[in-house]
Amino acid sequence: MKKYICTICGFIYDESMGYPQGNIKPGTSWDDISNDWVCPLCSASKSEFQEQNDVNSVSHNSNSNQDTLIPENSDYSLGELSAICSNLSKGCEKQCLLEEADLFNQLATYFENKLAPADSFDLSSLQSLLQEDLDTTYNTANKIANNEKDRGTLRALKWSEQVTRILNAHINKVDSQGSDRVKYSQIYVCEICGFVYIGDERPELCPICKVPSMKLTQVQRGA
Amino acid sequence: MYAVRNIRLCTKDCLCLYVCPTGATDTETGQIDPEKCLDGCRLCVDACPSHAIYLIPETYPPQQEKSTDIQSILSVLSKSKTTQENIARTIVNSSTDLNMKQFAKAVSMSNRIMAEDILREAGFMLPQSQNAQDLLSSLLESEQPEDFPKEVALKLLSLLQKSNKPIEDTKT
Repeated sequence: MKKYICTICGFIYDESMGYPQGNIKPGTSWDDISNDWVCPLCSASKSEFQEQNDVNSVSHNSNSNQDTLIPENSDYSLGELSAICSNLSKGCEKQCLLEEADLFNQLATYFENKLAPADSFDLSSLQSLLQEDLDTTYNTANKIANNEKDRGTLRALKWSEQVTRILNAHINKVDSQGSDRVKYSQIYVCEICGFVYIGDERPELCPICKVPSMKLTQVQRGA
Repeated sequence: MYAVRNIRLCTKDCLCLYVCPTGATDTETGQIDPEKCLDGCRLCVDACPSHAIYLIPETYPPQQEKSTDIQSILSVLSKSKTTQENIARTIVNSSTDLNMKQFAKAVSMSNRIMAEDILREAGFMLPQSQNAQDLLSSLLESEQPEDFPKEVALKLLSLLQKSNKPIEDTKT
């Protein structure tokens, strides 16, 4: 009997236990589970699962080239300036500095409005950036942060790599099945880590950062 | 340090009202009056059975320094996430398919949150930090388009410098 772990949220499918809540009897082998079965926690598809003992080899792929990635010029883009300011606005809110929070928000909105619409805006342009993040950037970043024992950075990388993986899975599905894929589901975004959940009921906890459900914002259709 | 109340946790047991020496905890807005709150007193914090009151510091230690390698690689990620956010936002604004718009909206929100977290880790954790102040100063010093809200940046800078002087300022 083998165990399979969801590389997105860490849910473990144990063949010996099955998943009776989802009508999968104990002893059901992984291969006998239907291909459209999804992770009960985060609704990642079956292909996102790994046999439990080889998970590490996936998330820390070691054949990437570190040197080519580091840019010389680290000036901030308009999008980054906007994200810096919206983040600092949240930081002020948490300290109950409401005037400062509002001012940072004004700057964030200014930079966002300055940003020209993207030249190419189809799912494939997102897919290629996601691939780059997942194939190289996270590996390099994890290596550097591991070497420096920078646990804050490792934490941020762990969350965003998992969120990126699930975004990639969602986008691939919408790309192949069309936007009807989300038609009969609700969509929630975790305000803390960015985890996107597509399904019927709001999860009790964010499977990535474990924040309670009140921090999962529902994205309205047609809003 | 002054006390603030998390209204979502407050179970209205009123012990904070009983122990507060100045009446700061009894207000019509549910927020503790910072004018009356005694610096560092914390009687209400300890009395609250629901842990709904906490203290907010007015000074902070310097932020953890990040190496240039970490900053560079995090910058690759924050550029990628904000680019993806913009692509998704452009899809939201241009698509007529309501399902696609909704989905792209979620993708754009998700990327913004990831970018914020990455940039926070790269050195913009604390609004009062030297990094944040330096960024505002450099925006003010460099050439900006005419519509740049200079007064907003100036106001922010003076508020952050004056009312919340962080400990790291005194070090330099």
